[in-house]
Amino acid sequence: MRHHYWEWPIATYLFLGGMGGGIFCLAAIFTFFVSPSLAASEAVVPVVTALVQESFALPGFIAILALGIGCFLLVFELGQPFAFLRVFLKSTSIICWGARILSVCLIFGFIWFLSYIPWEWFAPIANFLAPARGVCLALAGIAGFCIMLYTGILLSSLKAHSFWATPALPVLFTVSALSTACAAIALTIGGWPSAYALDNLYAAIAVHEIIHTIDIILVVAELVVILVMVLSFLGAGNTTAQEVARRWVKGRTAPFFWIGMIGIGLVIPELLYVGMPHGIGSSVVAPILVLCGGLLLRFLVVYSDERREIPGENRYYTRVAKRDAKFLHTWKKGENIF
Amino acid sequence: MTRYVMVIDQRRCIGCHSCTVACRTWNDLPIDIVYNPVVTEGVQGTWPNVHRSWTPLLCMHCEHPACVPCCPTGASQQDDDGTVWIDYKKCMACKVCVNACPYGMRDQSKFEPRLHQFIRKCTFCRDKRKLDPDAQPYCVQTCHQKARIFGDLDDPNSEVSKLIGSVHTERLFEDLGTGPQIYYIPELGGKA
Repeated sequence: MRHHYWEWPIATYLFLGGMGGGIFCLAAIFTFFVSPSLAASEAVVPVVTALVQESFALPGFIAILALGIGCFLLVFELGQPFAFLRVFLKSTSIICWGARILSVCLIFGFIWFLSYIPWEWFAPIANFLAPARGVCLALAGIAGFCIMLYTGILLSSLKAHSFWATPALPVLFTVSALSTACAAIALTIGGWPSAYALDNLYAAIAVHEIIHTIDIILVVAELVVILVMVLSFLGAGNTTAQEVARRWVKGRTAPFFWIGMIGIGLVIPELLYVGMPHGIGSSVVAPILVLCGGLLLRFLVVYSDERREIPGENRYYTRVAKRDAKFLHTWKKGENIF
Repeated sequence: MTRYVMVIDQRRCIGCHSCTVACRTWNDLPIDIVYNPVVTEGVQGTWPNVHRSWTPLLCMHCEHPACVPCCPTGASQQDDDGTVWIDYKKCMACKVCVNACPYGMRDQSKFEPRLHQFIRKCTFCRDKRKLDPDAQPYCVQTCHQKARIFGDLDDPNSEVSKLIGSVHTERLFEDLGTGPQIYYIPELGGKA
């Protein structure tokens, strides 16, 4: 193969998109399904749904930032960026659907976040948007769920790349997106613009406790899925997938996979989560490591885009001249002289 | 209906790369773009039983191309005659089609201006055929070995349909279900 066509902007986008979508998805789930049971529980201070929703304001902002930066990277990566509005046109394309749900998530997530901005001069707008919070969060949550799925489905639909073309990849990306979203939420929940009050603090702590438990499960699930995917490719994949899996397990990428992805990105955070449930290790260090692991996973996967080789193809492309363009251009005076 | 296909007779191909040069010249391609490379694994076998064969490649103009439905802008298209081509004005160069093609026959030149690096591919010389429907692609026209034969598969009198009906032909990666429309007559090079 010639070279990698999708590079770091796409890998970073897949990470940011998954995380942003996951945050909105979890915010919606917590607001609509988890908080009623929290409110009904016999806790000393009952947690009100509105407070749970409010505690997600800063994570929501982080999600908007992540999705916004992701979109910028997508457009930045384009060869003809000024044609990007055409991305919404063709419904047979997964990228087209991705762009649509990304836009829905960004727009409704942004409106939802605006309704929480506490600045005085902004109050009329925030108050005007406040009644629409529920609808906006629901739409952003559904779109966020779709974004998590789509990042994996996009790659797995490209059957030319043996290592991507597996149903395990969307599962892996979805679990990883949820896990990184949990980590981002754990780091930011209850922060500005959520009000600085005792009730809000209780709501944030209640959510943080559940998020903590969920991430313990998700990290184990991610570990299982990634090992199953890579090792099954190693044992039973076609030649190209086997080559990639071998590179992951014992080749050039092995240190990134075993030490970076599995060790630092999954096992150490899991140990911190379980071993230091209320310390700085589990509330700050572990989530940061999970985020780094999620980013590394996207890079490892995106750069594993080997295609089945047509016999002799690689031999040919390593010999093609690449650096004579300037000379040729000058020689032809920029025209087709033939 | 017209269904354009190409038969590549590997018995005739001697690996002279004339087709590559003709294509690059007439289509005025940037230096890092090759629509029709002629690849070889080099000399195979043990002396004195050594042989060498060449595989001229180009876009397979698949019956069910993976690169068309995945294009979000509608730039990647297929004509009724089977020609797969790209409308450069519509292409935003997201490179999803490049990643979707199992044959690696789409590419983007890094030597174009940064904001106009659209995706390129072989079009069976669609522009040329538009002006003259009987015209042959440049690579076919230039092949002095007559190793490349272009024509309409649905026309029973065409050379391609006669060849495909009478000689053993193979297609690349048929198992992927894309229905490539480039038929190879596999044999050692320079024999016929």
